[in-house]
Amino acid sequence: MVQRRRFLGSCALLATPLARAQSGKPIELRMWTLLSGGDGARMHALVNAFNASQRAVRVVSTTLKWGEPFYTKLITSAVVGAGPEIATIHLSRLPNLAGGGVLRPIGEAELLAAGLRAGDYFERQWHKSRYKGASYAIPLDMHPLVLYYNKHLTRRAGLLGSDGRLAPIEGYEALTAAFRSARQRTGKAGLAMEANQSSFAVWRLWLSLLTQRKATLIEHGRFAYGSAGVEELAKISAWFTRGYAQAGLNYPASTSQFMGGAAAFMLNGVWEVPEMVRATRLGTLGFDYGIAPLPRVYHDASAWTDSHAFALPANEGQPLAPEKARAALAFIAYISRHSMSWAEGGHVPAYRPVADSNQARALMPNAEYAAAAHNVVYDPDGWYMGAAGPVESMASKFMPGALSGQLTPGEAMRMFETEAARLLRKAPPRY
Amino acid sequence: MKPFMPTRQRQAAQAAVAHSSRRGDGRSAALLLTPFVTLFLLFFLAPALQTFYLSLTESSLTRTNAFVGLANYALLVRDPSFWASLGNTFYFSLLTVMPLTALGLLMALLVHRFTRVQGWLQGAFFLPYVLPISVMTLIADWMLQPSTGVINQIVGGQTAWLADVDWAMPVVALGTIWWTVGFNMLMLLAGLRNIPRELYEAAALDGARGFTLFRCITWPQLRPVVGTALLLQLIVSLKIFGQTYILTVGGPFNTTRVTLHYMYETAFTHSDAGYAAAIAMAFVAVVVALSLLHALLRRVVAGRNP
Repeated sequence: MVQRRRFLGSCALLATPLARAQSGKPIELRMWTLLSGGDGARMHALVNAFNASQRAVRVVSTTLKWGEPFYTKLITSAVVGAGPEIATIHLSRLPNLAGGGVLRPIGEAELLAAGLRAGDYFERQWHKSRYKGASYAIPLDMHPLVLYYNKHLTRRAGLLGSDGRLAPIEGYEALTAAFRSARQRTGKAGLAMEANQSSFAVWRLWLSLLTQRKATLIEHGRFAYGSAGVEELAKISAWFTRGYAQAGLNYPASTSQFMGGAAAFMLNGVWEVPEMVRATRLGTLGFDYGIAPLPRVYHDASAWTDSHAFALPANEGQPLAPEKARAALAFIAYISRHSMSWAEGGHVPAYRPVADSNQARALMPNAEYAAAAHNVVYDPDGWYMGAAGPVESMASKFMPGALSGQLTPGEAMRMFETEAARLLRKAPPRY
Repeated sequence: MKPFMPTRQRQAAQAAVAHSSRRGDGRSAALLLTPFVTLFLLFFLAPALQTFYLSLTESSLTRTNAFVGLANYALLVRDPSFWASLGNTFYFSLLTVMPLTALGLLMALLVHRFTRVQGWLQGAFFLPYVLPISVMTLIADWMLQPSTGVINQIVGGQTAWLADVDWAMPVVALGTIWWTVGFNMLMLLAGLRNIPRELYEAAALDGARGFTLFRCITWPQLRPVVGTALLLQLIVSLKIFGQTYILTVGGPFNTTRVTLHYMYETAFTHSDAGYAAAIAMAFVAVVVALSLLHALLRRVVAGRNP
């Protein structure tokens, strides 16, 4: 409240011409988001709440197609000065966007004036939102890979503890045994996971396992994981080729398999939580479910994650007017403070006063996988990395081929590496 | 120009025609040509030249950077992904050019033969061509769904056609044939209707019927149209992008990634517009070379049986 009043005060003082702010005509800010489905609806509600909470600023949000189309549009529009004032991005894409000149740095004084303090955000996310010593984004959340389980099926497979929760699983053999016994004792699939052409789950899991093994992905412009790459892909593939998981399912088919009670486990991001909650509330989910952090297979329980964040496009030749920048940051600060509803979307809020609040700690099923946030791993820094970036896109072409048995893990990795080699050598693009 | 005119007379006549047109129509011709030439220069030649220049630079999606000479082309000739994509493009052309022309001819003959249901047949054959690519791919995708698609209901099994290394491209080719054959049918039908009726009447008087009519009159008369249809089809098939982009995204593991798709990925996903421009220029060279080869073949064939 105090922050908002301060913002409104400074807005009125500095808005040019002053008369406009006084006459009540609000500053209009355009925001482009790539959030669709439940996330999109949730963000829409937050934007509406912000617009209703004050009269000085009005945010108009437009949803664009997730992935490469969104980023292409953001990049091309930002460099000709035709971009929006605010954009949602993935933190995994920050090196590419900030390094390429697509985003506008946010000054320390601006952050301070808007009440955005580094200490209020998880260190890891705040750090990921910086590039060469400057802030380029304000983190909103993190959405790690987690293990969903069907309590009905896992109980029949003898995998639940006395507390009705999944008994701890450690190591590859134990994880494989869990999938196998679920498959053999219930006749259902042990694991549901998207595995068709152009699916990303296998990349996320593979990167998690490599990190758990302490293998480095990229060093000095080349892949540095050695034989670990093929070994981990082979281990994931084995679950499919041995029939514990069904190969070739696309994303909706894999989630339907789990939600329809036809699979004991599902490996997926936390963004499916709202669907689980909704189905439970409506009584259409025929079973109890639980969610556990990704099991520790090697040295730690590292799990892939990414984060949504807010950024201000650079809009070359059309620099953001100071009052608009202030308004945009005030909006972002508002969303941070109200990110409890974002947590209900399954995400872990990046804003600690919300994430650490009793309300958030008590939120179910989020509390079950809260520990996942301590061991997250992002795509490594690099302009070619990140959500819908070129390396993920290449991985999504070849790695699923190993899951379906069309390629051996060795062939899949070799094809992926051959295709990606040229990118790794290339200088980061300036846009 | 009549062939029996003496040479000198002919030259004089030619000069007279040229002279009169230069004197009387020059200005209006220029005036009439201006809109086209302007558009051509502005929206075709200039962008084409700019693409060529771009191919000589190191450029991101939006910024043209350093001039690098032929470096992009040097990279291109040693790029296995480029050659693989070219191979996939040729494979698709192989699967579509001949079948599309042959099927189009067959359909045109059917429409031409059964005059009573002509309108219906023509409509049925041409209808798929009207569909936008998004609708065509949606229909194909539904029909090819592994567990719920009608194709698997008929043939049995759970084949994921579009994810199958052996089937993905043939299936895309089949969909394309169904979608575009109507255009070839229409073009060949126009050719059929241009064959003078007297030829058939004369042949009938000589006792020719059935396949003999086709072999001795229809085919020789139609051959130039078929040649043109083949050439146009070759160019269209080489330019494939939308069907594989939407149906297979180039998969499984790039086995259906055609050259234009590779160019698109290079420009937009890899943000390497300079290299993408080099791919585009190389591809234009390939298409032009193949078209010239086709024209040459036609001339040779025409020379052998005049």
